[in-house]
Amino acid sequence: MARNKYDVDEELDIEFNFDQVRRLLKYIKPYKKRLFLTVIVMLVASFTAFTGPYLIKIALDEAIPKRDLSQLILLTLLYIGTLLINALGLRYRLSSTAEMGQSIIQNLRRDLFTHLQRLPFAFYDSRPHGKILVRVVNYINTLSDLLSNGLINLITDLFTLMIIAFFMLLLDLRLALISLAGLPVLFAALFLLKNIQRRLWQKVSRKQSNMNAYVHESINGMKVTQSFAREKENFATFATINQSYRQAWMKAIISLILVNPIAENLSVLVIAAVYLAGVAWLNQGISVGVLIAFLSYISSFWLPIFNLTNFYNSLINAAAYIERIFETMDEKPSVADAPDAKLMPPIRGQIEFVDVCFAYEEGQEVLHNVSFQVNPGETIALVGPTGAGKTTIVNLISRFYDVTSGKVLIDGIDLREVTLQSLRSQMGVMLQDTFIFSGTIIDNIRYSRLDASDEEVIAAARAVCAHDFIVNMEKGYYTEVNERGSRLSVGERQLISFARALLADPRILILDEATSSIDTETELLVQQGLAKLLVNRTSFIIAHRLSTIKNADRIMYIDDGGIVEAGTHETLMNKKGAYYRLYMSQYQFLRAI
Amino acid sequence: MNPFRWLWTYLRKHRFLLILAFFLVILFTILNLIPPYIAGVIVDRVIIGGEMEFFWRLIIAIVAATMVKSAARFLYRLTFERISQDVVYNVRMNIYQKLQELDFSFFDRTRTGDLMTRMSGDADAVRHFISWVAFSLVENIVIFLLSLAILFAINAQLALALLLWTPLIGFFALRLSVAVKPTFFAIREQLSRLNSVVQENISGNRVVKAFAREEHEITKFYRENDNYKQENLKAVQVWSKYLPLIDTASNGLTVVLLLVGGLMVMQERLTLGELVMFNNYLWTLSNPLRYLGWLINDLQRFVAGATKIINLLTEKPRIKNGENPRQKESLAGKVEFSDVSFTLEGHAILREISFTAHPGQTIALVGPTGAGKSTIVNLICRFYDCTTGEILIDGIPIKELDLAFLRANIAGAMQDIFLFSDTIEGNIAFGVPEASFDEVQQAARIAGAHEFITRMPEGYDTIVGERGVGLSGGQRQRIALARALIKDPAILILDDTTSSVDLETEHAIQKNLRSFYKQKTIFIIAHRISAVRNADLILVLKDGRIIEVGKHEELIAKNGYYSTVFKNQYGDFDAELMKEAK
Repeated sequence: MARNKYDVDEELDIEFNFDQVRRLLKYIKPYKKRLFLTVIVMLVASFTAFTGPYLIKIALDEAIPKRDLSQLILLTLLYIGTLLINALGLRYRLSSTAEMGQSIIQNLRRDLFTHLQRLPFAFYDSRPHGKILVRVVNYINTLSDLLSNGLINLITDLFTLMIIAFFMLLLDLRLALISLAGLPVLFAALFLLKNIQRRLWQKVSRKQSNMNAYVHESINGMKVTQSFAREKENFATFATINQSYRQAWMKAIISLILVNPIAENLSVLVIAAVYLAGVAWLNQGISVGVLIAFLSYISSFWLPIFNLTNFYNSLINAAAYIERIFETMDEKPSVADAPDAKLMPPIRGQIEFVDVCFAYEEGQEVLHNVSFQVNPGETIALVGPTGAGKTTIVNLISRFYDVTSGKVLIDGIDLREVTLQSLRSQMGVMLQDTFIFSGTIIDNIRYSRLDASDEEVIAAARAVCAHDFIVNMEKGYYTEVNERGSRLSVGERQLISFARALLADPRILILDEATSSIDTETELLVQQGLAKLLVNRTSFIIAHRLSTIKNADRIMYIDDGGIVEAGTHETLMNKKGAYYRLYMSQYQFLRAI
Repeated sequence: MNPFRWLWTYLRKHRFLLILAFFLVILFTILNLIPPYIAGVIVDRVIIGGEMEFFWRLIIAIVAATMVKSAARFLYRLTFERISQDVVYNVRMNIYQKLQELDFSFFDRTRTGDLMTRMSGDADAVRHFISWVAFSLVENIVIFLLSLAILFAINAQLALALLLWTPLIGFFALRLSVAVKPTFFAIREQLSRLNSVVQENISGNRVVKAFAREEHEITKFYRENDNYKQENLKAVQVWSKYLPLIDTASNGLTVVLLLVGGLMVMQERLTLGELVMFNNYLWTLSNPLRYLGWLINDLQRFVAGATKIINLLTEKPRIKNGENPRQKESLAGKVEFSDVSFTLEGHAILREISFTAHPGQTIALVGPTGAGKSTIVNLICRFYDCTTGEILIDGIPIKELDLAFLRANIAGAMQDIFLFSDTIEGNIAFGVPEASFDEVQQAARIAGAHEFITRMPEGYDTIVGERGVGLSGGQRQRIALARALIKDPAILILDDTTSSVDLETEHAIQKNLRSFYKQKTIFIIAHRISAVRNADLILVLKDGRIIEVGKHEELIAKNGYYSTVFKNQYGDFDAELMKEAK
């Protein structure tokens, strides 16, 4: 499997494009009314704000020279009125843009997270988890301002710009054309810069992702690092990663802050040209009044342009994150419900493999032409050397992967014809790699059946002999454990996930090295408890300890991607084949050591 | 620690650069006032007055002023960015360093997602403060003072009247500051929680899928995602209350100007021209005040993030070197426990453990799940300190030994195997990065891993996923074992290292260890009798106590726990073999 690691930059499948802008707009769409309203409120507020200076002008020109106190007070009151409208407008704008921006990123994050739930093991196995995490949390957070304030400003600035341009054109065509002539130059400059900026920001996002991956892994692996006293090397590695993030950032930020001086200097040149032309054409079609009015417009003409430039800049910056977010959303789940998938009816427990071939990666077959049939209620043990394909077989029963060729049937139904939810909710799988969620022990066990009562949880815990150690903890079942259960021993974690698998009341139970770290005495007790529970359930057990598997109804010896032999313990012993050798070796080793 | 004082420890070394940058900020602020002034002059004197002789000079001045000021702004922004990047770089390094110093008990109680937030979101709040808030603050203060000076020069009385109005703005700003602070802390906290939920979901994706719990996970996530939005909106509520107040109060300066100034003109204590000038300059006084609210927001955001970071950085590891840590040339590997007890959160995990392990011996620890076997090896590595009693290594109390030296001489393959997303070679050479490829292969051979590694298409260059996904349990265990072996330690710890390995391989590994590591002290924790049978000393633990000690034969003869386990695992064999014999 082509795996990514912390110091390898990720490749990008789809570059930011117009289609992604459209998708982004879809997230804004539900709020278009609010957006519209906010823009209206802002226009009203800025209109009243315009009247403010006018009121002051009247006061300065009329009321005060005429010593008319009552008019002055009236004007002041009117002015206070505009301030109040302005304040209300600002208040509305602040809360509505925040509400919008937060809702949009909430939805975006929700969709990304929901999509992640559909992605198969392979997706999670092929990259450091920190690189997935950074997309869901950090990347999306960077968009909040752009999609709320940025957008509103964009609209109002465009409005202002058009209105001012209209008035400028109305006042004097020639001067207006000179003013507008600056824009194509600015656009050309921005466009040229864009390609550089895009590369630079993409690099920043990749370096950020790398850093996140390394930090994530460092924290999770800190115990190993400390026990190998490798702090210095890791510190040096982190310094390199941190440094390359800083460098990438500095380069990108220079390209960003460079835009302002460009726009500013361009604007002053244009304004100077307008001054020169205006003065030269004075009394040649341009009156003093028109020129003064025009000059007052031109400074407000460039303000929205600066704002728009900044918006464009943030968009270019954000594009590096947006493309990553959509890339993940576009990741096709390799195992998914068929369009016409049915619900899996209650499982009886008959399982059939028909000529199953499977390869994790093309050309490297892990299973070839595996066929077998299991009757409802049977207990099947899978034995064989590590890497022979035992885990792969049980993974196919849960449809964690799809077969490359052949088919897997449960009760005669091809797994690809039913929904994953209806299939997996009837299975209890205990994986080799136990995982404990942060929270109470009872919630961890209940994870497999959320509506289970406390009594049922305790019954499951009793069945796997976990009850005793749980009640011995300070708050019993309500003891908080950390993520991955770092407080619990591995054996205890196995017992908890074992209880979790049992509580699901599954029709098919799969135990993949469920008891490898549990002492044999406890295991024996677990088996006795289990024997009662396994009646009428089909179960698969993978284990290396032969005492664990001896009592299975059927033992399959797996090697080199196929079933070498199968049968009960007695038949296989009599056969004197691979299983016999394995079994006898245990005894011999005991002697030999 | 005060966040600002803390920040200063990072900024100190840049103080000259900072002064230079602030000087540029002041230059920019002054230059910023020039173009509007010249524009006014052009209108008054050139366009209306027709004085053409100044015109070109004024135009050049306007262009020059803009060019210089934009250059100044570019330079100081660049400088602040550089400084902020340097500070954040160092903050991150310090966090990382701190994480490496903190002990197991810290990681046992801290969520990964929280720590991730310190490194990303919180560090970014610090960056933003330096690269934006700091100079904006100065910019605004300079403008404010400058305009105050100008206004006082025009008319002190009116200027004073305006100044008397500003405490009102200050009052609102203060209220905002107090009210918004807790909301930013809440946002930070909620971001941590959101981060943790997502992080756990990603790490636990296999369990989620195995139980088809996607919906449950989504609900859980929605809750945190929505809370994050709500916490943000709470902050918005606060500032959408105060920012308009501050804004209005700032614009209220105009009201003061109209009323007080107007009356003064009427009473002829001020000329109309002076009042007009006041009005023209008033924005330079009110704008910085209007901006105050935003800056306070950013300031508090910084305080929240910085406080979180400071809390982490001041976290004290309980396990650290003593006053004069001792080192030796090399460690022989004698391990002595005398009356060691260990209590964790009020629970006795180990009680009065005493034993001695000599170099060259293999010590086996057996016993039921949760008996305290792993705790013993954790204490040998000093991942935790024992509560009472003493642990001696080569006769030296473990607390006096240099921690790095101690751990450099111990290597373990721990029960909870963590592999890094790196190549297999990189994983094996983890503890000895300078190891040659031959050494890596040698370690892999002894650990019984060489064969399956070379069977992989990319061999030792195969990249394993984080935690070793894609490898079977037994494969992971063997790589972890090779990783321990390559360190060539004095004390080797195998904590349940071969439980998922098939018996044949386990046997081969045992044979290899025996022949290669004659002089080492080896600790083995295992449940299979086959793995512990030949140990020089077997300690049977139950409920934190040693209940049986001895060699295999002695323990079998005792007919206690050990012999029961033996019978469970091997008892049937004899019956089986009897059948065979018949």
